[in-house]
Amino acid sequence: MSTGPTDPMAGFDHLIHAPNRLRVCALLDTTGEAEFAVLQKQLGLSPSALSKHAGALIEAGYVEQRKAVRDTRQRVWLRLTPQGNKAYHGHLAALRAIVGQ
Amino acid sequence: METGASAPDRYPLPTSDEARATLAEAARIRTSATALSATPWPTWFATTLTAYVAFFPVAYGGLFADDRWLLPKAAWAAALLSTTAAYLALFALAARSWRQRTGVALRFDVLPKRATVPLAIGMPALLMGPAWAFRATGQAGWLAFGAVAAAAVSVGFHLAFVRLHGKTTA
Repeated sequence: MSTGPTDPMAGFDHLIHAPNRLRVCALLDTTGEAEFAVLQKQLGLSPSALSKHAGALIEAGYVEQRKAVRDTRQRVWLRLTPQGNKAYHGHLAALRAIVGQ
Repeated sequence: METGASAPDRYPLPTSDEARATLAEAARIRTSATALSATPWPTWFATTLTAYVAFFPVAYGGLFADDRWLLPKAAWAAALLSTTAAYLALFALAARSWRQRTGVALRFDVLPKRATVPLAIGMPALLMGPAWAFRATGQAGWLAFGAVAAAAVSVGFHLAFVRLHGKTTA
């Protein structure tokens, strides 16, 4: 198997491939930025599970967070970084290559 | 790929069926997230937008008329500037409230291109074209046409997004 720079399989990302992390990336890629509670609701994840996956993505530099106050409560907004966006789309390209699309 | 994360899980490469299922799940998430991004404006702002686009061709026509038309040109300029400033202020307010209500960023690139591209091209022509036609012909009917057509487009798009949002969240 070739692993040259144009090989889509080079984009396969083990960190993103975890099902819930891929779903987090898919939602952030579409919405641009989303509030933690919206991610939780849309993905059906518990706060601790989402925190764990978001933390891994933040640690990898794929996701960044912003804190904003609304109704006197602090809300966390998450968004993909350019690096995360590239990694996510690279991963999708690898999956499409596996499928043969 | 190196991710920089601390010891990410290593997954065996998925089979073709697994990869297809993963892509389908990503597509499903994208569809439900698009529904959030297609949340229509609140009715008060859709009304404001409609009133603004209906007023614009008339005021612009008055401003660019060869001769004084109904009001002095300075009055048309002041009306155009003040309504635009008020519209922008209300847009900022509506955008903020929209973001808080939906919990996602306000972006237009997830909306169907078959709707946004004609709107981006057609609306400026509809807002400004009648003023130039009025200037050339002296027929105020062009301004009335521009006002009614722009208002109809605004209402039509609002209803289209209400329908799109309802369909994607159903």
